[in-house]
Amino acid sequence: MKSAPILQLKGLTKRFGRVAALRRLDLEIHAGEFVALFGPNGAGKSTLLKVAATLLGPDEGKSVFQGGAPMRSAIGYVSHQSLLYGNLSGLENLLFYARLYGLPDPPAQARSMLDRMGLKQAGGQLVRGYSRGMKQRLTLARALLHDPVLLLLDEPYTGLDQHGGRLLTETLSLLKSQGRTVFLVTHNAREGLQLCSRVLIQNAGRIVFDAPREEVSDDDFESIYFQKIEETRPRRKSRGKRAARAGG
Amino acid sequence: MWSATDKIRLRQAERYLTAAKVLAWPAFLLILAALYMAFIYAPRERQMGEVQRIFYFHIGAAWNALGVCFLAVFIAGILYLWKKRRIWDHVGASFVEIGLAYTTINLTTGMFWARPVWNTWWPWGDPRVTLMLVLWLIYVAYMIFRSTMPDGEKKYKYCAVFGIIGFLDVPLVYVSIHIWRTIHPKVITSEGMALETPMIMALFTSMAAFTALTALLFCLRMAMRLQRTVVLERLYEETV
Amino acid sequence: MSILKSLWILAAKDLRIEYRSREAFQTTLFFAVLILIIFQFAFDPGSKATLEASPGILWVALLFPGMIRLNQSFQMEIEEDSLHGIVLSPVDRGAFFLGKFLANWVFLALVGLASTVAFVVFYNFAPSARLWWLLVVELMGLAGFSAVGTVLAAMVAKSSSREVLLPILIFPIVIPVIVAAVNASQEILLRDDLNTLGTWMQVLGVFDVVYLAAGFVVFEYVVGD
Repeated sequence: MKSAPILQLKGLTKRFGRVAALRRLDLEIHAGEFVALFGPNGAGKSTLLKVAATLLGPDEGKSVFQGGAPMRSAIGYVSHQSLLYGNLSGLENLLFYARLYGLPDPPAQARSMLDRMGLKQAGGQLVRGYSRGMKQRLTLARALLHDPVLLLLDEPYTGLDQHGGRLLTETLSLLKSQGRTVFLVTHNAREGLQLCSRVLIQNAGRIVFDAPREEVSDDDFESIYFQKIEETRPRRKSRGKRAARAGG
Repeated sequence: MWSATDKIRLRQAERYLTAAKVLAWPAFLLILAALYMAFIYAPRERQMGEVQRIFYFHIGAAWNALGVCFLAVFIAGILYLWKKRRIWDHVGASFVEIGLAYTTINLTTGMFWARPVWNTWWPWGDPRVTLMLVLWLIYVAYMIFRSTMPDGEKKYKYCAVFGIIGFLDVPLVYVSIHIWRTIHPKVITSEGMALETPMIMALFTSMAAFTALTALLFCLRMAMRLQRTVVLERLYEETV
Repeated sequence: MSILKSLWILAAKDLRIEYRSREAFQTTLFFAVLILIIFQFAFDPGSKATLEASPGILWVALLFPGMIRLNQSFQMEIEEDSLHGIVLSPVDRGAFFLGKFLANWVFLALVGLASTVAFVVFYNFAPSARLWWLLVVELMGLAGFSAVGTVLAAMVAKSSSREVLLPILIFPIVIPVIVAAVNASQEILLRDDLNTLGTWMQVLGVFDVVYLAAGFVVFEYVVGD
């Protein structure tokens, strides 16, 4: 049933100074999968996503994208920050990125994307004045603008109110129904489990749990999670503060 | 108990230490020879007197700073960006430190020479002095910048870039100061010192001695840096 | 996509943001004018000595505020991490450098133009055709300064001590620009003939070319990863 992997991460190791955020991590993501990655702070989740997004180069190992070198134009990335300009309007932000990606007819693309994200009215306003929810939707719009093959989401629910969170879930489930490949990093179990087709848990720079969504019931998840984290906790934890700085 | 990379690093460090031991005696003898040549063998300069003997060390230091150390920083920078091998950062950083020491020697000896000979501490119009001063500023800036960055690829890359940008400035600084000096009324001329053969011999001995010292210091710094990397990484391993 | 096209998209975005707020332009210009006036107080106002030193003062007034601007030019990219947005796009890193450079250069040139007007007023220079030469020298000097500054500002952008790091890194490198530009300005403003102007402009031109080329090549390593 599974096709060739879209993204293959092989033996990734990434250190920050003396701290390793990823330790010989292997992972394959296939087309159409909606992968949710959970893990405590400092597990190296964001680092993993950054390496997948080509923002960081690994110290060891490599990432293979559709059998070749990573293609920046085929990846959409949503990070903790919006990657937007506060002093430009929503429309101008999307126009800028549409042009940067060399898309045909940027104005039309930007407008239709604003429309899809329910930001038609707000398109002319400066992003500086956007609410957290509006900004997050624009962030998602920016990441989807160039119709990426793989969408990487780093804690997209952070800072959203309930309404914003629901809108985001709706958008994501729409993407899921379109068969888009999504890699979602979160520490929010409820939102992550709601949509995903595959559950991953990362701890101390390694993937410590990997199962299809069907095999993990909502009620069991919490106990699995804590069991896995406990099992894989780094043994010598003297000077643990430094390890915690590994970056989440 | 050591990892494979640790072992490679420690072996490299060991090799640098061996090289340092091999170099130590010739460097020591060359320095003795240079001291003898400069202070006893070379004749007293007629116009400038004894102070002219500074010249041998002054030029030896200048040659090593610019022609060896900072050039090496430039090349190591390019190699780091190209190969992404940590060793090239060690090379660059070691040569910046050594080059900076020589530049400081060059500038201070220059001061003590300029005072009696040109009647000024700082001959601003001289392109060579000014070039050395600018080099000193550039590589002190490098050291400050280096010290503000946490260890990691970014630091090595940025330092490599700055080492490249800094060295590209050398001809530009020299030419601009040279033009500047030639259009301004000349207060100072550094020309016209005819070197006799013994003086040239003394100069070359001094340059050779300094070059041997550079090689020795480089080996010691490299060994130190490699070992320190291993120790720091071991420290980290113990925390996780 | 061609490099020219993407550099224009990037520069236009920067300039649009600057135009939106205009605050950065006003403060930079105000700082420049302030320097011009402070130096009058520091020396004997209107004296011969001040006049002789005025080309140097002009360049201090162009470069010190300019340095603050260079720092700001990457703060706008750090604020919401749009730097990564650009790095993630398929745009060429060299084009990114040139776009940033162009925006900085245009910004500094506009501040320079306005400061020169203030300079002519406060230092009592007769408006003459020679001032056009001064503007050309300013454009050339600021180009080199922006080229070096764009690379260095990108390197210190995420450092907490960037305000002090950038001047420490940039000023030793741009000493040839200062020497050439001040001497050229001196000749334009205070001498009868323009004997060495061409030579100084050559120095500036070579500096500009060297550091534009260097920036174009190394920027990949500065913003990548």
